[in-house]
Amino acid sequence: MADYIEANGQKIEVDEDGFLVDPDTWNEEVVRIFAKVEEVSELTEDHWKVINYLRDYYKQFGIAPMIRKLCKDTGFSLKQIYDMFPSGPAKGACKLAGLPKPTGCV
Amino acid sequence: MKVPLHLAKEKEAQAVGFPPVAEVERQMRLLAEIDDYRKSARSLMVMLETCTKCGACAEACHSYLGTQDFYNIPAARADLFRKIYKRYFTFTGKTLSRFIGAEDFDAETIGRWVTYFYQCNECRRCAVYCPFGIDTAEITIAARHILTRLGVMPRFMTGIAANMTKTGNNMGIPKPAIIDSAEFMEDEMKEETGLDIKIPVDKPGSDILYIPSSADFFSNIDTMFGVAKMFHALGVNWTIPSTVLEAANFGLLFNLDVMKEQNERLRAAAADLGAKLVVQGECGHGWRAAKMYTEGAGGPVPFALVHVLEYAHAHLAKFKLSKLPWRVSLHDPCNYARAGDIIEQPRAILRACVTEFVEMTPSRERNFCCGGGSGLLMDEMMEIRMQLGKKKAEQVQELGQLDYLAAPCSICKAQLPHVMKHYGMEDLKMGGVMDVLGKALVWD
Repeated sequence: MADYIEANGQKIEVDEDGFLVDPDTWNEEVVRIFAKVEEVSELTEDHWKVINYLRDYYKQFGIAPMIRKLCKDTGFSLKQIYDMFPSGPAKGACKLAGLPKPTGCV
Repeated sequence: MKVPLHLAKEKEAQAVGFPPVAEVERQMRLLAEIDDYRKSARSLMVMLETCTKCGACAEACHSYLGTQDFYNIPAARADLFRKIYKRYFTFTGKTLSRFIGAEDFDAETIGRWVTYFYQCNECRRCAVYCPFGIDTAEITIAARHILTRLGVMPRFMTGIAANMTKTGNNMGIPKPAIIDSAEFMEDEMKEETGLDIKIPVDKPGSDILYIPSSADFFSNIDTMFGVAKMFHALGVNWTIPSTVLEAANFGLLFNLDVMKEQNERLRAAAADLGAKLVVQGECGHGWRAAKMYTEGAGGPVPFALVHVLEYAHAHLAKFKLSKLPWRVSLHDPCNYARAGDIIEQPRAILRACVTEFVEMTPSRERNFCCGGGSGLLMDEMMEIRMQLGKKKAEQVQELGQLDYLAAPCSICKAQLPHVMKHYGMEDLKMGGVMDVLGKALVWD
């Protein structure tokens, strides 16, 4: 049984962890829906900076960046990232950016 | 029967080579698989025959102590397998099954196997306490392999298997990202030390092949720093193969054939790059698979194989170190202390690098598992994972204030921060042993 979310009147498939099955189905409405699930209280410019950075990196390299690189390139400390995305960079920020869930020993 | 983890869907199981067996054929296939095992692994049958239910394993098992679930007593867990074995493969089981604790295969059998063989961390602590030396980890491994052959496995494992096929590492990091990350780490080390410390990827004509955990290229960056700094200090010719950016061999967790394939990949990488020495990074599971099954399952290999902590320990006298003013303890990864002969090396390294090293109780081969071992890192298992980590949290609590907890294994590094936070120790800093060596090294 596949799970779906409804964004802009469209059904978009998500996996058991609620991540997008296909990163290309991402849109800004998806971000707003995921923000609620991941307890992001308000989407600020800083959130979008992280989200856009993750999407750009993913487009270029096909994977999420190293966490330290994410912090360095966006100028946010790991603590600030956790303040913005309470479920963390991998589970929270990557989800909002429409990336697949980082898997393995993480 | 509802199981506590997400199982792979048909498509996902099929994609990694294990199409699910139809419901009506499951019993027949399960028995056929046990029969196969019976012929190739007599040791497993001895373990199934000899348990006397003395109970010595119960209090030795962190899984039972943390969950208080009867079926997490190692003897009871193994009995889920043993009952089926007895019923269908022993004379008394076939004729007098209900008097000897044999049990028919029923609608719940598969669900019970999944539920409880995936609450065993394969840590082998029960084997230390069993008077017969019964190793429940071996029974768990066999049960998981059999389930896999029926197409029944966690989605977490098929995700990893798919990544392994695509990229050669669990996380699915493609080569351009590996190079980008290596360059980023080089820049970071330059900023910190002012030195050109390299992380060479796929450098031909290298003497040493270093096999990191792919998590070192995502979250455990300080471990990778420590390793690169060590090789730089020794001035050796080394490289990381982009085709094997992974110490872990997840074949051990769900299938022997997959394990052999991954061994083959390592052999090819060493041959291509000319390395005669393979150094395995901080990954407990990876080390157990490498030490026991690189030659054990795949035949002789044309290189020597050592663990990075063995390697660092052997060269310890050559390093210029300045002790960090830290109070540090070591969590022994199960696969080092009970399956890989890495016990004293991390202690010697830590003593050389910090001002105070303290032991937790118990430790070494009697240490308790972090609760994440054998790949139990699924988010949906978080509540159970915290129960599995309870004994570890108590051990750390007893030590009082610590500046750092060394846990030189990627699974432990992923699991322990959750456990410590859950039990009220979220400020505790954790990481590998190589991280500490990297920070204690001084440069002229």
